Amino acid sequence: MSHLLPLLIAVPIIGALVPAVLGARRPVISRRLTVGILVGQVGLAVAVLVAVAATGPRTYVVGGLPAAVGIGLRADAVSTVFVLLVAVTAAALYVTVRTDTTGPTDSLWLLFVAGLTGIAVTADVFNLYVFLEISGLAAYALVAGRHGTRAALAAFHYLLVGTIGATLYLLGVGYLYVATGTLGMAGLRADLAAVGYDSPLVVTAFVLVTVGLGVKLALFPLQAWKPDAYAVATPDVSALLATLGSTVPGYALVRLVFDVFTASFLDAVPLVRTGLVVVGVASVAAGGYFALRQSDVRRLLAYSSVLQMGLVVIGIAIATPAAVTAALVLLVGNAVAKGGLYAATGVFARRFGATTVDGYAGLGRDAPLTAGAVSVAFISLVGLPPTVGFAGKWYLVVAAVDSRAWVVVAVVLLSTLVSLAYAGRVVERLYLAAAPGGTEPVATDGGGLADGPARERTVVFVVVAALATVLVGLGSTELAAWFAPVVEGWL
Amino acid sequence: MAVTDTVSVLPLAAVLLPTLAVPLIYAARTRPRLRETVTLAASIATLVTVWFAVQSPTTLVTPLGSFVGIPFALRADAAALLFALLAALLWVVTSVYSIGYLYALDEHAQTRYFAAFAVSIAATMGVAFAANLLTLFVFYELLTLATYPLVVHAGTAKARAAGRQYIAYTLGGGVAALGGIVLVGVLTGTVTFTPGGIDGLGATDTTLARIAFVLLVVGFGVKTALVPLHGWLPTAMVAPTPVSGLLHAVAVVKSGVFALGRTVLYVFGPDTTWDLGLGLPLAAAAAATMVIAGVVGLRQDNLKRGLAYSTVSHLAYIALGLALATPVAVFGAFIHVVAHAFMKISLFFAAGLIYVETGEKYVSDLAGVGRRLPMTMTAFAIAAAGLIGFPLVAGFVSKFHLIVGAAASPHPAFVVAYLVAGVLKLLYFWPVIYTAFFGRRESDSSESRHPFAPPHATDGGYVEQAMWERRSLTREASPLLLAPVVATAAAAVLLGLFPTAFPFWALAEAVVVEVFG
Repeated sequence: MSHLLPLLIAVPIIGALVPAVLGARRPVISRRLTVGILVGQVGLAVAVLVAVAATGPRTYVVGGLPAAVGIGLRADAVSTVFVLLVAVTAAALYVTVRTDTTGPTDSLWLLFVAGLTGIAVTADVFNLYVFLEISGLAAYALVAGRHGTRAALAAFHYLLVGTIGATLYLLGVGYLYVATGTLGMAGLRADLAAVGYDSPLVVTAFVLVTVGLGVKLALFPLQAWKPDAYAVATPDVSALLATLGSTVPGYALVRLVFDVFTASFLDAVPLVRTGLVVVGVASVAAGGYFALRQSDVRRLLAYSSVLQMGLVVIGIAIATPAAVTAALVLLVGNAVAKGGLYAATGVFARRFGATTVDGYAGLGRDAPLTAGAVSVAFISLVGLPPTVGFAGKWYLVVAAVDSRAWVVVAVVLLSTLVSLAYAGRVVERLYLAAAPGGTEPVATDGGGLADGPARERTVVFVVVAALATVLVGLGSTELAAWFAPVVEGWL
Repeated sequence: MAVTDTVSVLPLAAVLLPTLAVPLIYAARTRPRLRETVTLAASIATLVTVWFAVQSPTTLVTPLGSFVGIPFALRADAAALLFALLAALLWVVTSVYSIGYLYALDEHAQTRYFAAFAVSIAATMGVAFAANLLTLFVFYELLTLATYPLVVHAGTAKARAAGRQYIAYTLGGGVAALGGIVLVGVLTGTVTFTPGGIDGLGATDTTLARIAFVLLVVGFGVKTALVPLHGWLPTAMVAPTPVSGLLHAVAVVKSGVFALGRTVLYVFGPDTTWDLGLGLPLAAAAAATMVIAGVVGLRQDNLKRGLAYSTVSHLAYIALGLALATPVAVFGAFIHVVAHAFMKISLFFAAGLIYVETGEKYVSDLAGVGRRLPMTMTAFAIAAAGLIGFPLVAGFVSKFHLIVGAAASPHPAFVVAYLVAGVLKLLYFWPVIYTAFFGRRESDSSESRHPFAPPHATDGGYVEQAMWERRSLTREASPLLLAPVVATAAAAVLLGLFPTAFPFWALAEAVVVEVFG
C-alpha cells in the first residue's frame, strides 16, 4: 500500500507527457486521457486516505535511500485531506470549467497537480522547494496562457515575485542545513531542538521560510501579485489557482511550523509569534480594506483570500490544537468557497460580459442558480453558520479566548463585519439593483456565445462548491476529529 | 428536574416542515393558488406538530449530532413550547392575511416572499427549540438572512438602504453574541441551557463572565431593539405589512428577547446575574428604552413607524421583567411575549388593511376612517387599549404581573417605568383612535394645495373627499384581510378574559417553576 505514495506524484508528472505529445494532433484522445489521469489521481488520493484512516500515517522512501538524502514521502491525516482536495478540484475543474484545452497547457495543469501533491506529501524540506517550484512554474505559465499583454504582464509579475519567494524559502532551507546537516523533516525536528531554538541560524531560517511561503500565501505586504494574476487568467485557471495556489502552501506553512520547528520554537522565541500575529492581523485588515475598494469582482475575491490567509496565520501563531484546527479548516473552507466563486465569475463574464460589482446588477434574476450559489459561498466567507467558514472562525475564536488573546478575538470577530461589507456589495447588486441597460447575453470575445454544455457544467461546479461549504460546515466536527490525532501530536 | 427527556422527532419536525415548504413553494411558482395552499398546509402542519409537542407529558428532545464540536440539539422545554406555539399559531393567521395583502396590492416576487417567509418561520422554530447557545445562534443568524429578502422586498433605494441597515445591525449583534457564546463556552465548558443557570459560571473569572453577559445582551439586544440598538426596527417598516406584523412584531424581535431570556434565566441564572451586578444595568437599560421609545413614538405620523416604536417599548417591558428576575416578573414577561404578539399583530394587520383599502400610511390622513373601516378600527382600538393596559384585554394581565413582579423585586422603583410607559402608550394611541372615529379630513386647508387655488376645484377635476364613505361591517374589506384582524383582536380579548384557559399560561408557569425551583 505504501507504493501508492510515489504514484501520487508520478502519475500526474508522467501523465503530463500525454497532452504534450498528443494534444496538438489528437486533441480528443489527449483530453480523454487527461481526464483519465485526473480521475485516476482522485482514486489514488481516496485510496491513500482510506489506507491512512485504516492503519495510520505511512512513510515511503524512494529507492530505499537513507532519509537524510533520499526522497522521503509521508502521508498522515492532515496531508491526505489536501492531497484529496488537490485531486478533486483539479479533476472537477478540468471537466466542468476548462474549455481551452490545447496540448501544452493541459500538461501544465497536470504539472501543477503534481507539484501541489508533492508539497502535501513530501517529508523533506528541500524536496518541498522543488515541488513548490514545479507548481509555481506551472502556475505562471497557466496565467500567461491567455492571450494579451495584460496576462503576460501579470504572469511576469507573478513569476518575479513568486521566484523571489521560492528563493527566500530555499535560502531558509540552506540555513537549516547549515545548522543541522539534515533536510528530512523528522530529523530536523530533533536536531533543531538540539541546536537550540534561539540560535540565530534557526531563527533566520524560520523567518526566511515563512517569508518565502508568505509570498505564496499572498500575506500583506506580499500580496500584490495575486489580484493581478487572478483577474487576468481564464476562469478555469483562476478558479484552480484560487482554490489551491495559496491553500497548499498554507498547509506547508502549518506543516513546517509545527512538524519541523514545533510549537516549542514558538514558545522559545516569542518575537516570532508576535511577528506572525502582526502579519496575520495586517493581512486581515489590508485584505478587508482593499476588498472593499475593488470594482472588479475577481480582484475583490483575491483580496478576500488575503484576509482569509491572515486568519490562517493568526491560527498558526496562537498554536493551540483548536487554533491549528481552525487554520486547517479555514484553508479548506476558503479553497472550496473561492473555487466556486471564481468559476461563477467565469459564468457571469461569459454569459453577460459582467466582471465588475456594478456589472453584476440584476444578474440574480437572469442566472438564479449561479447567483444563489454565489450567495452561499459568500456567506461561508463571511463566516455565518452552518457553513465551513463559520466552523473555522468558531475554532479560531475559541482558541483565541482560551489563550486570552483579546486583540485577536476582536480582530477575528470584526473581520466578519468587513467580510460582510464586501460580500454584501456583490450579493445586493446581484439581487436588488436594476440592470442599467440590457441584460441580454452578450459575447465579449467577438465570437458567438460560449458553448452551452460547458456553461451548464460550470454552473454545476459552482453549485456543488456552494453545497460543499455547507456540508463541510455541518461535518466540521468530523473534520476536526479527523485532523485531531495529527494536530495533537504536533502540540 | 421532575420532567424526563424523551427522544422525539417532533421538535425537528417543527423546524423541517416550514423548510420543506420552500422547494414546494418554488415548484408551484407558476400556480399561485397551489403555492398558497402549500404555505397554508405547512403552517397548519407546523402548528399541529407544536401542539402535539405541547401535549407531551415529557420534554421532547431531538439530538442532531454535533456542530463544531458542540452538541447540536433541539429540546422542547416549556419556554421553547410557549414561543414555538405562539409563532406557529400566528404563522397560520399571517399566511391568510399575506395572501389577501399580496393579491390586493398585486405585489411582485410573491414566490420569493412566501419562500423567505417559510424559512423565517423555520429559523424561528429553531431559535425556540434550540437546546444550547450555539444551536440558538445558528438559527438566530439564519433568521437574519431569511428576513433580509422580506425587508428589501420593494426593491426601491429606500428598501435597499433599510436592508443594509438591517443586516449591519443584526449581523453586528450576531458577532457580539458569538463572542459572548465562546466566552461562556471557554469559562464553563458548556453552552447548554440549564434552568437557573449553568453551574459555576458565577464562580469563574467574574470579569470575563461580565463581559460575556454584556456581549450576549448587546448581541441579542439588537433584535430585542433595546435603545440604542433599535434603529433598524422603524426603518425595517418599509417591508410589506404582514412581514412587519409577524416578523418584526413577533418572530424576529421575540427571538431577540427570547434569547435574552435564555441568557438571563438559562445561562447565567437569576442569582448569578444579580450577584455579578448585571441585573440592575440591564433593567435600567430596559426601563430607559420603554420610556425613550414611548416619547419618540409620540412624534411619529407614519402609522407603521409609530407601531414599531411601540414594539420597541413593549419588548423593553419584557426585557425589564427578565432583568428583574423575580418569579412573578419572569412569569409576566413570558405572558407579555404572548399578549403583545396578539395585540401588536392585530394593529399591524389593521394598518396594512388601511393601506390596502385607502392607500393611506399617515395618521394625519386617517381622520374619520372609522366610518369607512368600522370593524377594523374597532379591532384596532381594542388591541391598542390592550397595549395601553386596559383590563379585559390580554395586555392588562401580563402588565399586572410585570408590575407586581417589579414591586416585589429589590428595586420597586421600576414600577414607575411601567406606569410612565403606560401613560405614553395612552398618549400615542388616544389621538390615533380619536381621529379615526371622530376626526374630519380638512382637505381645503391642506398645505399641499396652491395658495391661490380656489377652495373647490372649478375645472371639473378631482376634489379630495372631505369624508370617508360609510361602509357596513361586512363590506369594508376582503375577508382574507379582515378575518385575521378580527381574529387576533378577539384572541387578545379572550386572553384577557380567560388567561388560564390557554396553554401559554401553564407553559409560563412551568418556566417559572423550572427556573426558580
